[in-house]
Amino acid sequence: MEQTTGVLRGSTHDDVVLESIQFNEEIRGIMAPAPAPENASSFTALLELPPTQAVELLHSPDCAPAGREPPCHVNANQKPYLLDSYGGNLTFPSNAALIERAAKFSVFAGENSSPEDAARLAPASLPGAVKNEPQETDSNPCSTQGCVSDPAVETKNQRTPKRKEREKKGKGSSKKSKGIADESSGDGEKLPYVHVRVRRGQATDSHSLAERARREKINARMKLLQDLVPGCNKISGTALVLDEIINHVQSLQRQVEFLSMKLAAVNPRIDFSLDSLLATDGSSVMDSNLTSMATPVMWPENLADGNRQHYQQQWQFDAFHQPLWGREEANHNFVTPEHSLLSYDSSANSASLHSNQLKMEL
Amino acid sequence: MRNQEGSSVKEEFLRKWIRGLRRYSCEKKNMSFLERKKAIKLSADLAMASTRDKTIRWSQALIANAASENVCIGSSSAPKKSSRKKKMMLMRRSRARVKSVKKEMSSARCIAKRLMEKRTRKLKNLLPGGESMEDGCLVEETLDYIQSLRDQIEVMRSLLTASQLIINPS
Repeated sequence: MEQTTGVLRGSTHDDVVLESIQFNEEIRGIMAPAPAPENASSFTALLELPPTQAVELLHSPDCAPAGREPPCHVNANQKPYLLDSYGGNLTFPSNAALIERAAKFSVFAGENSSPEDAARLAPASLPGAVKNEPQETDSNPCSTQGCVSDPAVETKNQRTPKRKEREKKGKGSSKKSKGIADESSGDGEKLPYVHVRVRRGQATDSHSLAERARREKINARMKLLQDLVPGCNKISGTALVLDEIINHVQSLQRQVEFLSMKLAAVNPRIDFSLDSLLATDGSSVMDSNLTSMATPVMWPENLADGNRQHYQQQWQFDAFHQPLWGREEANHNFVTPEHSLLSYDSSANSASLHSNQLKMEL
Repeated sequence: MRNQEGSSVKEEFLRKWIRGLRRYSCEKKNMSFLERKKAIKLSADLAMASTRDKTIRWSQALIANAASENVCIGSSSAPKKSSRKKKMMLMRRSRARVKSVKKEMSSARCIAKRLMEKRTRKLKNLLPGGESMEDGCLVEETLDYIQSLRDQIEVMRSLLTASQLIINPS
């Protein structure tokens, strides 16, 4: 009996595993390549997650073609707010944002100020919208202070010019790596803008429009910088991010100095011609360096002998051609000595690879 | 932007760098350690800068600075000192101006502005030719500069390991 029940359980587990495999393959194929055997545990993990996050993962194929985890988590955190206010209607994130904003506007249109709801909506919508419209960071502190009218007004003011600058915003969002969610929510916001247009004509000034476009552009670039500099993603607040960026640039510059010092120490003369020329090929410099240096000990002996001869040859080349910074034709001169040098060694496979690639290039 | 051509940029940089180094070594036969280091760094910087378009400001500024300072690796650094003095004077004047403005503003937003100004000024000082850039331009240039610096470091590091491996084959 026990065995049969065990078998039954095993079969249901297999079904579950099969489902999870299909389910996860979709997600994993989009989000990140992952090995198949983890599926069972991951599906149970999914089940343990609150339904919000499971729904979010469902929507992730729509939202994140770039396959980033953080935006999904951001959205998942916002879900509880929506569930509380809408009584558990699990909807798609773009529509949810749309519904929020429509509700907010209707709240203010009817002037039935239920400040709690609006206050709840404001922080729910704004952090979710931070992903889409990054310049609302200055409206966030206002909402946390509890003044309800200000953030809504500000967001409206920020959106009316955006309706006119939708092309620029389209460009800005295309530069962002978040993908479809932004654009869909951006398109979805067309409807409420029709109501909002009439209000608060302050934002329709051409100067502030241009300023806002400029600020959007700058914020988009700042996001790119944040992604580039490691460890900047979690920091909120432009000043701290700038601090990190400055530190990063300083450390990179220091590394350059340090490396140049090391290079000066390694060589008695600053002539790297031979080994560096061997290193360059069609693919990456680093890979070719490592592969070429991994070849047998014959190389250094050849190089030691070949050094002097090749220097003389190359000096002659230079004397004839007098390389300048902008010239690209002189590059071909480098290739021919490499050829003759590579033909010395016949045993190493990597060398033959190099020579083949060089022949292809020529 | 320039992500696809990463390896070709590195190759171009390497070639130009080697070219520059050879020029230096043919000028002067025996260079001291510091001279060599300066030569290496300068030719690396110039090579990196020359791989970028004319539209990228920091690269043009770097090349212009190097050309205007007439950097001769072996000679004295007198021209450098004079240019440094001028820069210090300019910075002092700008700081004085900013300080007088600071005393007037005192609200929270202005504090935030002040923080941002400090940071942007720092960044401008870091970037070659960054003093004359505005915010939007600054951010773009920083992006490009960081990418170029990373490429430069990669190439230099690989060259270092290669030369070390040649000298010590074990």
